[in-house]
Amino acid sequence: MDNKKYEAEINNSKSLVQLNELEIKYLGRNGEINKLLSAIKDIPNEEKREYGQKVNLLKTSIVRSIEMMKKKLSSKKSEVFFDKTMPGKAYPKGSLHIVSFAIEEITNVFEKIGFIRVSYPEVDWEYGAFESLNMPANHPARDDVETSFIDTPAHKTLGKMVLTPHTSNGQNREMKRVGKPPIRMINISKCYRPNWDATHTPMFHQFEGLCVDKDISIVNLKGTLDYFAEKYFGKGTKTRLRPHHFQFTEPSFEVDISCNVCGGKGTVRNAYMRSLQKCKVCKSGWLELGGTGMVHPNVLKEGGIDSKKYSGWAFGFGIERVIMMKYGLDDIRNYYSGDIRFLEQF
Amino acid sequence: MNIRITYNWLLDYLDTDATPYEMQKYLSLCGPSIETVEKVGSDYVFDIEITSNRIDTASVIGVAQEAQAILPMFGKKAKIKLNPLTDFKFDQIKAGSGFDLRVDIKNPNLVSRFTSLIFDQVQIGDSPKFIQDRLRLAGVKVINNVVDISNYLMITLGQPIHMFDYDKIANHHMIVRESKKGEKLVTLDEKEITLPGGDIVIEDGSGKLIDLCGIMGGFNSAISSKTKRVLLFVQTYNKSKIRKTTMTTGQRTIAATFFEKGLDEQRVVATTVNATQLLEKYCQGKIVSKIQDIYPTPTKLKTINVQYELIDKLIGVKINRKTINNILTNLGFIVEIDPKNEIIWVTIPSFRTNDINIPEDIVEEVARVYGYQNIPSVLQPPAYVNQPKGMEDLFVFQNRIKIFLKHLGLNEVINYSMISRGMIEDSGLKIEDHLRLSNSISEDIEYLRTSLLPSLTKNIKENQGKKDILKLFEIGKVYLPVGNKDLCSLPQEIYRLGIATNTDYYDLKGIIEAIYKELNINVGAIQESSFPEIIEKDNMFLFEIDFQSLIDNCQLVPTYKPLHPYAIIKLDKTFEIHPQTTYEVIRQKASLSKLLQKVQVVTLYQNKLTLRFYYSSPDRNITEDEAKIELAKL
Repeated sequence: MDNKKYEAEINNSKSLVQLNELEIKYLGRNGEINKLLSAIKDIPNEEKREYGQKVNLLKTSIVRSIEMMKKKLSSKKSEVFFDKTMPGKAYPKGSLHIVSFAIEEITNVFEKIGFIRVSYPEVDWEYGAFESLNMPANHPARDDVETSFIDTPAHKTLGKMVLTPHTSNGQNREMKRVGKPPIRMINISKCYRPNWDATHTPMFHQFEGLCVDKDISIVNLKGTLDYFAEKYFGKGTKTRLRPHHFQFTEPSFEVDISCNVCGGKGTVRNAYMRSLQKCKVCKSGWLELGGTGMVHPNVLKEGGIDSKKYSGWAFGFGIERVIMMKYGLDDIRNYYSGDIRFLEQF
Repeated sequence: MNIRITYNWLLDYLDTDATPYEMQKYLSLCGPSIETVEKVGSDYVFDIEITSNRIDTASVIGVAQEAQAILPMFGKKAKIKLNPLTDFKFDQIKAGSGFDLRVDIKNPNLVSRFTSLIFDQVQIGDSPKFIQDRLRLAGVKVINNVVDISNYLMITLGQPIHMFDYDKIANHHMIVRESKKGEKLVTLDEKEITLPGGDIVIEDGSGKLIDLCGIMGGFNSAISSKTKRVLLFVQTYNKSKIRKTTMTTGQRTIAATFFEKGLDEQRVVATTVNATQLLEKYCQGKIVSKIQDIYPTPTKLKTINVQYELIDKLIGVKINRKTINNILTNLGFIVEIDPKNEIIWVTIPSFRTNDINIPEDIVEEVARVYGYQNIPSVLQPPAYVNQPKGMEDLFVFQNRIKIFLKHLGLNEVINYSMISRGMIEDSGLKIEDHLRLSNSISEDIEYLRTSLLPSLTKNIKENQGKKDILKLFEIGKVYLPVGNKDLCSLPQEIYRLGIATNTDYYDLKGIIEAIYKELNINVGAIQESSFPEIIEKDNMFLFEIDFQSLIDNCQLVPTYKPLHPYAIIKLDKTFEIHPQTTYEVIRQKASLSKLLQKVQVVTLYQNKLTLRFYYSSPDRNITEDEAKIELAKL
């Protein structure tokens, strides 16, 4: 019953398999401990008690040694390096089109001040695209709005069928839909013009705001533009109105927003030369956003609204343009090319 | 349109202490937009955008008029010191004699004012240096003294001028008439123009056409180095006629861009007088005729009544009455105030006749010069407007499905609404079912799509090699013609969802089923025909569905099933599948059992399909034997 001999054997085992064999050899049904225990019948009675205690002690000691050795051997196994810097399980990641993303952003900004998004035709009569907007046939102002026509007979009173060159055809339709102010409309839609080059695509998106109510003034238009500029482009963004001319508004303006790159200063300080340089993004501190104005009385009348009682403002801005201004995505040709390398980035 | 004038040119007419850059800043905020200022030598070139309603500002004197009103609002001095429009009169010209021009105007509606004067002993040569320099800075070609003077005055005063070689006009007789269809004439640029008919032209005594009025003179009557006698020709034409001719013939000359907007008949006088001064001074011309001035219906100045209150209301703040009156006066309006100081009677200067028609136009004049930057900014009070449920659903569900598909790993694409003939044919669709653009700029975008799939197919093909696995979707409109062509109705515009992958059938089917699950659409409960099939083509898998049908069949929250504590017995069974015994056939048969909760696919190996059936009852524990009896029915 040499304790030392067992321990040496246990401690010298090199693997769990070897240790298992020892465990069976010592503690198994026909193992050495059981052999020792069955030998008790040959022990004189007065020594039996002491003998039994000794065998049990030995058994306990062997069990403990095997357990310890087991832990030792298996801990060796868990020393295999666990690399937490490995990437996690891969989940699918698709993408939204950047235009869809911007449409949602813009819709939410206007929804908060009570503007409802509407949906009107993209294929309309000349009446909707022009006449209802105070642009009679043969008016030079139509030059500014190049238009794609549909090859189908003209309507007797409404003119030719066109792809809407702007979202403003929604104005007359919304006026007629509600019948009576208030109007708080945001019309977001595809628009089309026969123009395809580095900075134009034949299809693009606009969002059109229209607000008609009692006592709507330039003050309110400015308030709305400032609200939009801050919410969409970020706090501190300023707007500026400049006179312009559109047939469907009077007065008419162009809106600029302050450049977020140079903070509206028009110049940036060069880090190396410590000199002032012209801002590459805006050149003058301001970026042109689009056209706006107070709804022309003729447009209100055409929509069945009493221009003596009500006034309103309207604007129409390009979605691609605001995306470009906000996110710097300036290669517009990629937008509608379907190139997966462009799409999957968003 | 844009025009280029210079700072020094402007100072000939305007007394001001504003620098070129101050002018750019202040005028752009309140009037014509000066897009660039470029220093050239000792002068500065302004590039100015002219809006179509303000042709009167497309001139040095027009910009001076604006500056006189705007600059004082910024504390700058600005006063017009020489105003040809008011200072130059016909009686300043000493008429001559010896020569004349016989004129027949066939229709008074063609020419609102016709003025001419004949000069003899004209010396053709170079124009003076300042005229040449300024014309070059303005981007106008320098030709000779006579032609340069006409261009110089067009930019100075905004009234195009034509100069004829008097001796080339047969019998010194002009007939102003409308052209007949197919008539031809060669213009100064030596282009032969075939006229569409109804264009304003001049025929001389020999019956040949010598002028395409308002657009370009005839080559046969042009000034040459041998010209001795010059006919100075200053007119205003019917703007719609000019517009139509310039658009249909494609002759978009600078003169046409002026005339098509409608010019001020009064300006003819100043231009004729000024041109006479310059022809005498720089071409040694001698007047040898009377002034011929045909002006049958002189424009009457109109007066508009404007309530001060309207100005306040539309701008949104009250503006000092004196400020309003000063702004209008400096712009050239004549203002009279009613005794109660509530209304002003504003007389419109002749050069604004076309542009100012209603009180709102006067409000704009006041507001812009007052300065939009000085107007406060306040949101309008809120108002509730009902958004039609149909429109709301369309946008809410589109956004929801877009985001859902994005999270499933699909990429959203937006394609042009127009597609090519080839794309239609390749997709097995009929050309005649599509609306066609009559002025398409490219064959690639000639037809309005009636399906999203041709573009999605193209997307997959064009992206091969860029990425192994492609799963694309688009939510957009298709345009379905209504009835036959003569019905004259707009197409139906319908939103569709299209999906295309290069993976496999079950992958796409899984995506579609996931959408149905997301929208709690119980496909089994709806007629199968309302759900389209997957199309398999060239290793691509395509699917398209009307978006509205998803909305119509969707259930916001699924029907609640009470929880119960009773055991569920799961049993597996393997089937041999073939066209008569498909998964769907087995599933439907199994569903006849009231105890069946669900069926799950365990494995499919070749034709061996192993399914797992879940049996339970909501009100008691069932035994395995009961379940086995149910299963045995299959």
